[in-house]
Amino acid sequence: MGTDDVPLDDKAKRMRDLLSSFYSPDPSSTPNASSKHGALDAINTNSFNADQYMNLLVQKSNLEALLQRHVEMAAEIKNLDTDLQMLVYENYNKFISATDAIKRMKSNIVGMEANMEQLLDKIMSVQSRSDGVNTSLFEKREHIEKLHRTRNLLRKVQFIYDLPARLGKCIKSEAYADAVKFYTGAMPIFKAYGDSSFQDCKRASEEAVAIIVKNLQRKLFSDSESIQARAEAAVLLKQLDFPVDSLKAKLLEKLEQSLGDLQLKTDELENVTVESTDPSKQGKVSDSIRSTPHEASVREFAEAICAYRVIFPDSEKQLITLAQDLVIKHFEMTEQYVKRRISSANLLGVLRTIWTDVLLMDEILCEAVLPDFSLEAAQVAVKQYVASTFTHLLQDISDALLKVNISPKEAAEEFPLQVALEASKKAVLQGSMDVLLDFRQLLDDDLGLLVKLRDFIIDWVQEGFQDFFRALDDRFLLLSGKNNSSSQDNGLTEGTQSEKVLAGLVLVLAQLSVFIEQTAIPRITEEIAASFSGGGVRGYENGPAFVPGEICRIFRSAGEKLLHHYINMSTQRVSTLLRKRFTTPNWVKHKEPREVHMFVDLFLQELEAVGSEVKQILPQGLLRKHRRSDSNGSTTSSRSNPLRDDKMSRSNTHRGRSQLLETHLAKLFKQKVEIFTKVEYTQESVVTTIVKLCLKSLQEFVRLQTFNRSGFQQIQLDIQFLRTPLKETVEDEAAIDFLLDEVIVAASERCLDPIPLEPPILDRLIQAKLAKSKEQNPIAS
Amino acid sequence: MQGGSSGIGYGLKYQARCISDVKADTDHTSFITGTLSLREENEVHLIRLSSGGTELICEGLFSHPNEIWDLASCPFDQRIFSTVFSTGESYGAAIWQIPELYGQLNSPQLEQIASLDAHVGKINCVLWWPSGRHDKLISIDDENLLLWSLDCLKKVAQVQSKESAGMLHYLSSGAWDPHDVNAVAATCESSVQFWDLRTMKKANSIEHAHIRKANYDVKKKHMLVTAEDESGIHVWDLRKPKIPVKELPGHMHWTWAVTCNPEYDGLILSAGTDSTVNLWLAPTSASDESTSGSIAESPTQQADPLLNSYSDYEDSVYGLAWSSREPWIFASLSYDGRVVVESIKPFLSRK
Repeated sequence: MGTDDVPLDDKAKRMRDLLSSFYSPDPSSTPNASSKHGALDAINTNSFNADQYMNLLVQKSNLEALLQRHVEMAAEIKNLDTDLQMLVYENYNKFISATDAIKRMKSNIVGMEANMEQLLDKIMSVQSRSDGVNTSLFEKREHIEKLHRTRNLLRKVQFIYDLPARLGKCIKSEAYADAVKFYTGAMPIFKAYGDSSFQDCKRASEEAVAIIVKNLQRKLFSDSESIQARAEAAVLLKQLDFPVDSLKAKLLEKLEQSLGDLQLKTDELENVTVESTDPSKQGKVSDSIRSTPHEASVREFAEAICAYRVIFPDSEKQLITLAQDLVIKHFEMTEQYVKRRISSANLLGVLRTIWTDVLLMDEILCEAVLPDFSLEAAQVAVKQYVASTFTHLLQDISDALLKVNISPKEAAEEFPLQVALEASKKAVLQGSMDVLLDFRQLLDDDLGLLVKLRDFIIDWVQEGFQDFFRALDDRFLLLSGKNNSSSQDNGLTEGTQSEKVLAGLVLVLAQLSVFIEQTAIPRITEEIAASFSGGGVRGYENGPAFVPGEICRIFRSAGEKLLHHYINMSTQRVSTLLRKRFTTPNWVKHKEPREVHMFVDLFLQELEAVGSEVKQILPQGLLRKHRRSDSNGSTTSSRSNPLRDDKMSRSNTHRGRSQLLETHLAKLFKQKVEIFTKVEYTQESVVTTIVKLCLKSLQEFVRLQTFNRSGFQQIQLDIQFLRTPLKETVEDEAAIDFLLDEVIVAASERCLDPIPLEPPILDRLIQAKLAKSKEQNPIAS
Repeated sequence: MQGGSSGIGYGLKYQARCISDVKADTDHTSFITGTLSLREENEVHLIRLSSGGTELICEGLFSHPNEIWDLASCPFDQRIFSTVFSTGESYGAAIWQIPELYGQLNSPQLEQIASLDAHVGKINCVLWWPSGRHDKLISIDDENLLLWSLDCLKKVAQVQSKESAGMLHYLSSGAWDPHDVNAVAATCESSVQFWDLRTMKKANSIEHAHIRKANYDVKKKHMLVTAEDESGIHVWDLRKPKIPVKELPGHMHWTWAVTCNPEYDGLILSAGTDSTVNLWLAPTSASDESTSGSIAESPTQQADPLLNSYSDYEDSVYGLAWSSREPWIFASLSYDGRVVVESIKPFLSRK
């Protein structure tokens, strides 16, 4: 089978090589793609290995398949042969047509050579003629060019020789602009030949330029020259390469200096304002008169700035800072000023001056946005003013209050507390009104600055009041020693003297709180509503800044607290007294009562002191109860009578228990006496409360002791003595009676042998005491 | 403020000042109280709240030889309690044991375990350590602080140490720190003194006038509540004894007793001579706002600390005790001998 294939193989291979060399674009790229992979389909590749193929075919296929393969391959070979023949034929055709084309070309090209030769001849003749023309004209042209150059040179030389004279002429006629133009024109030549040929010329013109520069500088700095001229001078100087920046700096310095001068003047002005507005209300008129020098200087300053700006157009930033500096300095001054105590008229004066300044400056330098800038500054200043006004007011009020502490020792005034109360009331109301009036002035003024701030001012004033009253409340608490820090060193450790004064002060504070709540706040609210409504810069959700309801509430509770504090302080004093009285003696071994104990006097003294304090401050109660002075003598209340009878008869019976039962029963049937009622702001109510609390304390102290008969009798005697004077001072007789009885009951309960004194002895001892006290200070009785 | 007829009442025969929670009784809510009558035969009442919580039952009635000024139940044995008593002229203190089988006896006698008879002056109170079994006792008289060691079985009490409070310091009452077995607070006229029992020395003090009663917060360490005659209630943090953490206005008249709830934080009960018992809510941890000490109300300040005022009393209230078993229940005792047990449950929900 192999031998059969050999000739075919040879032939086919040759054909294939030929074909592939003809058609494949790059025959070298595939020649040796390895023949190793002897796949059956490798038959179409360049690297086809027939032996391998055969081997593979024989190995892989059976006979039938081989036969079939043989048939297929024979068919394929036939196909390929026909294709080959077709290709050969086509190529032959192409070849024939190419030969035809070449033949035609050959015949066409024969006539061309003669034409070319003709053309060459003509070109040659043209060239020779143009050469002739060139040579004939050359000489003349060269000459003309030389002449022209010489002339230019001569002109330049002429100009340079003329320059110094020309500059001199320009200086004389002050035509500096031309001079500068000439000089700058000549500059390059001087630079090139200045050292050799034109030395003299250069020196002369430089001298002239120096004069020019000097003149220009003078012109720039002289204020009398027109701004235009000065600006021109500056420009010229710049063209002359003169260091302009240093000039600029110098000028700016000058401006700053004048700013400083301006500041000084403001200060003077303020001083004058203070002095002049004090005597009369003509401040406004005189203000405007006096402010003229200041205004003039400011105007001058403004002009200078204006000029500067024209001269140095790129200097705005510096100027703006300069102008803002002015405003800042103004307001710094104002803030200093505000710290002192001034009326708003004074503030207005100052603000007005500032505002005119600002407006002046704004005309010139609107880029600085000075109005806005000063508005901000003014906002701060006015706010500060409002705040400081309130601080002063607060200080005034507490000063008025603290006078209580000083006055009783030095000037023995009759009613120091009352004086203090009136003074502080006045301080609060009048002070607030003055403050409001003051602020009104700020509002009513039509100064542009303040008009813009109006809403802010309204809010500040409202807020100011709100904060002021809060602060006042705090101050009250501080003064009353309710604060922990102060209470421990004020209220308790200091001597009774200062404590006493403090107690009075607390009472004054209490009443003042009521006054603020009931009188001052409504007035102020009214006033605020009348002239400070609106505002609304704070968002609506916040509500108005001044909330009178809240302030009223604060002061109502403060008043109550202070009143209670006062009552507490008073009872505490009595308590100490009672404590001493009850803890010192041995009650079980008490001796028979000979006289009313002196603690009663002390007790009454304390009450008297309280009474006198209260009388100065608090109003009398409206319902002055009917006093049964006729029945005062030696009455005992209806309730205590059966008790006493009972006690007298108890010695022979064993009825301690029934006695207790009876007191219980009595309590049941008797209307429960309200001991702890609400305190009102009246003399009687406060005194009654204090007395009640003291008697209750007395009862509690008694309950803690155990008495023998004499001890009990002593208590009985003391209480009996207290009955009359207490009832005189006090509103609620029934309650006092009840409490006094309670003390006696408590004593009898705590007594080992409760046999009361006989009424005659009781009466006799009391009379003796009365007589004795009358003897001791006859004036007081 | 309601009139408060919600309480359950119980009447003693005579006047009385002191009531104590029987802490060791874990099965019942019971209180023990004793009368104060100078001339009659005094009684000790053991009262139990019925299981329904609707009435007070007298569980035991014992006669006591003298009027009782102070009474404290032993925290680890429900049958033991201490009293301070007075014959009118002299004072004594004793530990008592309720006899067993007392239900069957007609007139059971209290069995005296020990007499704390080392005092000379007026005895003010006897303290048990509130947090559990401890064999020590403290008794305070006007001038001295005595530490006793108690043996209930042998029925002896011996003075372990004794220290004088110093000249011019009249002790009035005291409280034993439940967190520290060695710390005792004693109140005297011008201060609260803190004693260390190991050294029997004063460790610290709060200078504040007229403190009548002090009470430690059982839940929170370092917290002490004091009641003053005139100036109300103060809550102190013992680590900064200068300024109180909180101030409460107290009562119309003296604030006599004050006690912290053993369970609920910030609940304080106070009793006053104005015949009321006030329930306060004064949480101390939440804000330290009262360091400034001002009682000025800012509008945003929290609500009134006074939760309720029980005013259904005829006389001054001296005795006050929380139940440790049911911490929402407290017993109060007014001078006329009326025990009122109230529940604060309606106010707990508000917390």
